[in-house]
Amino acid sequence: MSVMRLGYVHLRVTDLDSAKGHYGTTLGMTETASEQGKVFYKGWDEYDHHSVVLEEGGVGLVKLGYKCETSEDIARYESRAQRFGASVARMSKGDNMAVGDGIRITLPSEHTVELYSDMEHLGTEPGVLNPESWPRFGRGVSVPRIDHALLTCEDPAMVERFFMECLDFRPSERVVTDPADPELIGTWLFCTNTPHDIAFIKGGNGKFHHFAYFLEDTSAILRAGDIFAMDDVPVDVGPTRHGITRGHTIYFFDPAGNRNEVFANGYITYPDFPTITWTADQLSKGIFYIGRELNERFTSVVT
Amino acid sequence: MVVVTVQPDGVTVDLREGETLLAGLQRLGYLYRWGCRRGGCGVCKVDVVAGAVGYSGVISDTVLSLEEREGGTALSCQAVPAGELTVALRNDRLTAAAPWLLKQAISITTQRSDIRQGEITK
Ligand code: FES
Ligand SMILES: [Fe+2]
Repeated sequence: MSVMRLGYVHLRVTDLDSAKGHYGTTLGMTETASEQGKVFYKGWDEYDHHSVVLEEGGVGLVKLGYKCETSEDIARYESRAQRFGASVARMSKGDNMAVGDGIRITLPSEHTVELYSDMEHLGTEPGVLNPESWPRFGRGVSVPRIDHALLTCEDPAMVERFFMECLDFRPSERVVTDPADPELIGTWLFCTNTPHDIAFIKGGNGKFHHFAYFLEDTSAILRAGDIFAMDDVPVDVGPTRHGITRGHTIYFFDPAGNRNEVFANGYITYPDFPTITWTADQLSKGIFYIGRELNERFTSVVT
Repeated sequence: MVVVTVQPDGVTVDLREGETLLAGLQRLGYLYRWGCRRGGCGVCKVDVVAGAVGYSGVISDTVLSLEEREGGTALSCQAVPAGELTVALRNDRLTAAAPWLLKQAISITTQRSDIRQGEITK
């Protein structure tokens, strides 16, 4: 079994109170716990303890957590990552609130990724017995779950190789400078049936571009946009469609300046999915299919 | 009202008390290069030429270091002028988002004759 999913995104925020307004009230996540300088959230369709951790002080990504099915899977990934030359440390139950044993990998891109197979189970409000379709009194966007993250790195080819060789991810889409002499400048990788569970584009190591929430459909994306207008949330781009992944999207910023996305639709992937290639000259269409214009903000703003 | 002059074109605007540079310039119909509008990315940095700015919220020192602050760099999406202020955009100029907005803006500024719309919409 491969890595199951993106389990948590741990971010720094400059001010916890305004971040709570954004993640709790505007996006409608549920606060499940808090400790000194940190708050833990989950979306309504997530049954594990948390999927977003906010830590006060600074801005940007602390780490991502990917949930694996078993501890044997983690042991296998540990030895592969070591052989690859990545630095790997063990983490034990309690190092992260509600998270069991696992490993902490420093990627070739200098980002931290944790693998774990156990997190405290909280369940969802609709539950698992004759459930309603969604929580009747959801707040704001009422996001069901997180979906993927996009990070920047100096060497996307190396990071792609790491995810493929060590963690059994597969590339759904790639952006290359020139197909005749391809330098990889972006890679979208999946471990589930979605178009991507993580992606990297060329940029500085250790930097965070965005993480995304899954929404049910395009009308939910437009409704989210209305709520961003009501709550004066700065919108980066959208609503539009991505050429890459085919998803419908809006990018926006949290109160610390970390970019978030709401994402819907997109295709299904399987282990035999034929990788799609985009050339750099068509990148603007690949990123924003409708407008076909890359703005400087989208390419230069990272935290 | 706080009088703010924006270089390189010397555009003068009246900002409201407590308004950030970016919010005020945007309200008056101007555009320049900005990013997250949340103090997280540093794309909106400008140089303080004269006067001082303050911040009501916390600014991450990974975005704006103490040395930068002391050296006169301001994060324009968060910076609130502390009295009359002159700032300079970095490799950028103000442009007009909506010319009719701008006319109104100019009519309520200090009526500087050197501000012509044509100059700043280039
Ligand atoms: S626009 Fe991002 S810090 Fe000002
Ligand atoms: Fe995305």
